[in-house]
Amino acid sequence: MYAVLHPPNFYAQAAAHPRPELRKRPFALLDGEPPAEFVIAANKAARALGVEAGMTRLQAESFPEVTAFSRTPADEASAHTILHNVVCLFSPRIEHIEISPGTYALDIEGMNRLYGDATQLAARLRQHTMAAGFLANVAVAENFHAAVCLALGKAGVSVAASGHEAEALRDLPVCVLPLEPEQEETLHSWGVRTCGELAALLESDLIARIGQVGKKLHALARGAWPHLMFPIEPSFEDGLSERMELDHPVEVLEPLLFLLSRMTDALLERVKEKALAIASLRVVLHLDGNKRHERIVRPALPLQDKPTLLKLLQLDLETHPPSAAILHLELHAQSAAPCRAQHGLFLPQAPEPGRLEVTLAHLKKLLGDERVGSVELKDDPRPNAFRMVPFAPPPPRKQERPSLSVPTALRVSRPPQAVGVALTDNKPTRIFWDGQGYAVREIAGPWRISGQWWSEANWCREEWDVRLTTETAERICRIAFDPRSRCWYVQGTYD
Amino acid sequence: MPSSAAIRLQIETTLANRVPAALTLKIKQAPELFATGIAEVDAVLDGGIPRGCITEVAGAASTGKTSLGLSSIATITQSGAACAWVDVSDTLSPESAAAAGVELKRLLWLRTSAERKQTITNKPWPRLEQALKATDLLLQAGGFGAIVLDMSDVLPQHTMRIPLATWYRFRLAAEQARTALIFLSQAPCAHSCAALALRCEPVEVRSFSSNGETALFEHQQYTLIRERNRNESSVFLQRKPPLRAAWQAETLWSRVR
Repeated sequence: MYAVLHPPNFYAQAAAHPRPELRKRPFALLDGEPPAEFVIAANKAARALGVEAGMTRLQAESFPEVTAFSRTPADEASAHTILHNVVCLFSPRIEHIEISPGTYALDIEGMNRLYGDATQLAARLRQHTMAAGFLANVAVAENFHAAVCLALGKAGVSVAASGHEAEALRDLPVCVLPLEPEQEETLHSWGVRTCGELAALLESDLIARIGQVGKKLHALARGAWPHLMFPIEPSFEDGLSERMELDHPVEVLEPLLFLLSRMTDALLERVKEKALAIASLRVVLHLDGNKRHERIVRPALPLQDKPTLLKLLQLDLETHPPSAAILHLELHAQSAAPCRAQHGLFLPQAPEPGRLEVTLAHLKKLLGDERVGSVELKDDPRPNAFRMVPFAPPPPRKQERPSLSVPTALRVSRPPQAVGVALTDNKPTRIFWDGQGYAVREIAGPWRISGQWWSEANWCREEWDVRLTTETAERICRIAFDPRSRCWYVQGTYD
Repeated sequence: MPSSAAIRLQIETTLANRVPAALTLKIKQAPELFATGIAEVDAVLDGGIPRGCITEVAGAASTGKTSLGLSSIATITQSGAACAWVDVSDTLSPESAAAAGVELKRLLWLRTSAERKQTITNKPWPRLEQALKATDLLLQAGGFGAIVLDMSDVLPQHTMRIPLATWYRFRLAAEQARTALIFLSQAPCAHSCAALALRCEPVEVRSFSSNGETALFEHQQYTLIRERNRNESSVFLQRKPPLRAAWQAETLWSRVR
């Protein structure tokens, strides 16, 4: 059994609700971008004066008594909230009907013990809606679509007895059905004005003329089209949060972990009920002195494993500790489908994602965030320009090695080390580096490179490849001369 | 008088809870090998670097340690396994790694820094300590095909002071994680823990310019000496003198030419 609540002329009612002074005066509601605004709705007084939906602002303002103003989404949202709260009193299963704003369908099966029979329930629902400041039609029927059509087409309370929906719908105009403009035109040209007339046609003839949609329209007109209800449910994601107020400010992280463990447990239970996993955890710590500390822990793969999640939270909070004592903490989770991978017996080994995540968190704590990860070369003329990216190895697969010769690796000095250089004919002949003197045995260069000449950060240098020797050792280095600072430095050693 | 077999059985049964098969010889299987990508070196190493063992590559600056390490890592990453490079002195050049053919997405680069600890920054200890801890964590996590601990710029007197227990622990962890652990250092430090010990030496000096044009550093010749290989198939081969391999590495620009 379904009850449908439909506030006619919803936009006008929603606009007048926060402005009681407008109720007695004619007004028109405008929509669209200026100057192409048009009338979307008008109250009864304005319609009596001749204002119609679709008029331009100029046309609406040509009526001196009519007040024209733009619609505000906030008014409509608050009207929706009020109506939603009213219908929630009558049934836990509610569906919002998208095609008609402000219209709600209620599943009232089993509500007769609380609210009496269908007629009494419909009357009380209408009464409550009017007390909340809205005029509404209420219809009750066994069939969902029949109740919707009745609410759209009949003012006041209407109840269709079980099995007599077709009779109840008989006198309603066909415009209560969800018709496309061309279908409405076709029916009009056939002289079909009411649902009863449409239901009287032969179903097969209707399908032969307007296609499969004819079957649906015929069933709707008879009040026999089935419907699967999708009740509005509170968002699962919004519910994935836990809050806790602390009695005393906490400065040490360890006691906090006991609380975080309980909160993570609660979140995991909720997530597991839906066969999901936690994709990210957001910890919000409200600190002494009205400060806020927020951290997000996002494992590489959604996890259902509490110890791993807790360890990641702990390591992250230890790496980025809060600056003051903690008064209040919140834990928000985001769910995702758990990752399932098919491993192969003959594939190369790869780190297990959960353990790798914890290891990376440990390493970040040990070395620093920006010192752990994969490297990505930057499209930059500066030699050895790179950026660090999080380490996420792609799934194992074999790749053919291109047959290239082995390159000489350069060991880069970070930062470049300043050296003393003795020149002969503008070429380095001796180098003093790290308290040791080296003779330049061979030299190649200079290779002049520069970049960013268009900005403040412009750079240029002359690079030389040198073979340095002492009595005992020999090494090949790349040294550079910066003409701006007139300084020599070692860029790296070939090894 | 019980026979020796009966005594052995009795001891093994008593210790079964703590040490399974305490007195039975464990048959060790030959480890899987990772090719280094350099044919001359692979020939000396009987196929490549052993998995689940420590390989030590020692040598002075400019003797090809890093080139050899990068070439090995390139082969391993291209086989689909993940690798890690623990960089004690933060000297790895991503360009060189990419040129060697390393799949950068499969390489975890750990750059130690002296600034993390507010102690004396000139000493290598904070960096070395971080690097050893990081290597320990990686070995415990498992799943890496190879881990390179690059201590090339740390002086031998510092690496020699690392306790032997550390290397024993690493050897066991590497064996369990089936990871090839490669040390790059100036002087051998892992002693008997290293299953494969290699020494790098520069060979004859080749002139920068080869064509009589503008002087250009084009290639470098290196020598690799195999000092110890515990995984050799025959016992008799262990008594053979160390083998040498001469190999050559080219600069990037000479590849273009």
